[in-house]
Amino acid sequence: MSQSAQSSANEGLKTEQVTELREALAELRGEIEARFGVPGKERADGTLERGRALLEDVGRGVQAQLERFNLKGLYTGLRRAVSTYGMQPRSLDVDPFGLDPASLGRARLLLDFLYDRWWRVQVTGAEKLPAEGRVILVANRSGVLPYDGVMVAHAVEREHPKGLRPRFLMSDWVATSPFSQPLLTRLGGVRACPENAERLLEAGEWIVNFPEGPKGALKPFRERYQLQRFGRGGFVSLALRLNATLIPVAVVGAEEVHPVLFHPNLPRRLLGIPLPVTPTFPLAGPLGLIPLPSQWFIRFGDPIRWDAADRERAEDALFINRTRDEIRNIIQGFLEEEVHRRSSVFRA
Amino acid sequence: MSTGRLPRSLAITGLGTFVGGRVAERALDAPVPPRVVGLDLEIPRSLEGRLPFHRVDLTAPTADSQIAEVLGKKRCDVVLHAAFLTNPQPDCEYAHELEVIGSLHVMNAAAAAGVRKLVVMSSAEVYGPHPDNPNFLSEEHPLRSHPHAHAVQDRVEMEGLLRVFAQRHPEMVVTVLRPCWVMGPSQFSPVTRHFESKRVTTLMGFDPLMQFLHEEDLLGAIELALTRDAPGPFNLAGAGALPLSTLIRLAGKRTLPIPHPLLFRLGYLESMRRAGDSPEAFYDYLRYLWVLDTARAGSELGFQPEYTTKEAWMSLVVSHRLRRYR
Repeated sequence: MSQSAQSSANEGLKTEQVTELREALAELRGEIEARFGVPGKERADGTLERGRALLEDVGRGVQAQLERFNLKGLYTGLRRAVSTYGMQPRSLDVDPFGLDPASLGRARLLLDFLYDRWWRVQVTGAEKLPAEGRVILVANRSGVLPYDGVMVAHAVEREHPKGLRPRFLMSDWVATSPFSQPLLTRLGGVRACPENAERLLEAGEWIVNFPEGPKGALKPFRERYQLQRFGRGGFVSLALRLNATLIPVAVVGAEEVHPVLFHPNLPRRLLGIPLPVTPTFPLAGPLGLIPLPSQWFIRFGDPIRWDAADRERAEDALFINRTRDEIRNIIQGFLEEEVHRRSSVFRA
Repeated sequence: MSTGRLPRSLAITGLGTFVGGRVAERALDAPVPPRVVGLDLEIPRSLEGRLPFHRVDLTAPTADSQIAEVLGKKRCDVVLHAAFLTNPQPDCEYAHELEVIGSLHVMNAAAAAGVRKLVVMSSAEVYGPHPDNPNFLSEEHPLRSHPHAHAVQDRVEMEGLLRVFAQRHPEMVVTVLRPCWVMGPSQFSPVTRHFESKRVTTLMGFDPLMQFLHEEDLLGAIELALTRDAPGPFNLAGAGALPLSTLIRLAGKRTLPIPHPLLFRLGYLESMRRAGDSPEAFYDYLRYLWVLDTARAGSELGFQPEYTTKEAWMSLVVSHRLRRYR
């Protein structure tokens, strides 16, 4: 109820009385606000307020720019944005593998959105994650861009009681292509090679490994959820040597984010990087880079631990090969179960 | 930093370089100074009259016997070989004569004179910037050089000769030091010149982790190599690594990101005019990782850098700023 309505309803009153009443009402209102909070103002721990403040900030910035519009200012702003890839602010210290806590903190908003809203990731088997120790998560690689690595890392961070965030390994062409190299490195990605994996494990980091490599990422859509060759078993021998626990992980849904129709050879030879053709890319231009909102399932399997007899066989190529194939079969089984269980690609 | 004692008698080739001159100065200023013999084309002014100097041209065909004569006469037990070019020479053949054949002369002379230890300055550039480098390069990593950088290729060839030489002379301690890019107030190299400009040219979309070594730490590491007997190669770098863009921001400078196909094509024209290396030879070092693992230098050489990468970088930035007011 507004104050003006109050005062107009009491026209017979004197002006002093009206002001007195107004003051009393304002006092009461202040007290109510102080005690119970302003309705709609602090909902969802201040998100609304922050959003409004942000909008006001942006508006003020635009207004200020319009008031003193100069081409040079625009140019400097654009150049700054380009030279920092729009990822300000960044920390002045990064970890030895290039993870930038400030960048990751900023990216979390987007990652949370992708995880909760866009792909609505459903996790099963998270209770099987060990509390500590060296761990290699072995997952199926799918989708062209390493969304699956980021999301598995995000799932572990969310579900693990200690909230530790594993580092995901990425294949060469993602790790060394322009723009994806700085971006993914800051978010915790590391180029997949035995030296890096060993060093990360020894530093106490968990790693997400995709033994299929680019063969899995760039396979055509008709071969979805069919695992490719699992590398040369490097992850098994590494796990045996460093006594790391292997956890099979199946990611369902990532195959549909960028369905690869075919994979032309010419651009790959011209540009030196793979350029797969999806229904939206490159037809829709940059919009084609937006992943499709499929429904995701991430399933963690039982941890595979080693006893002393196993660990003595770290050099045994046949044993390594057999173990590698067992893990591949576990993940293939998970994939088939999950794919059969889901009713639709896009709906839960 | 060094705990042990310097050798009794030390010969330094390349007295005119930063490393040769400063190691000689520091050795002469030590409480128990060793006998230092300098070899170069000419003696630097700051060292005139302080040490016996012999003019030797490493590219001369008889340089090896000249050096052997000096080493024998002065009874030198340790040789520091620092006669390498700081700036890449447009004259590839001269550079090759000096760096590869000259080093061969020094090695052979050291063997002929029965020198106990040979310390050679190489560079971490020999690993080369490659997209498939692991995040940390250890000393065992193959030296893959860079296909376009002739200076680096010469260094790799020299290291190959040195490895064979060390195998043939097991009685001699042969130490190779591979420092990453050295930063500090007295550094004038193509690298520091590149970072001197207000807008630092970078490759668009690439932001590798970089690692620097402070010049004082480099000198400290050389002294350690001279005092302790640690054969083999050693990576030298400051602690920590930072993305290139962060370093440039720390310096208060701006990046000038240029797409690499454009930069490389434009650069070819420029390099043809100057008859120098193609631009990849430098810019690939700002494109791909070549961060060093310095664990071996820490454990076997006792190398503990006093400056981190960030501090080494800031020392260069500060000296650049001060130079503007001189």
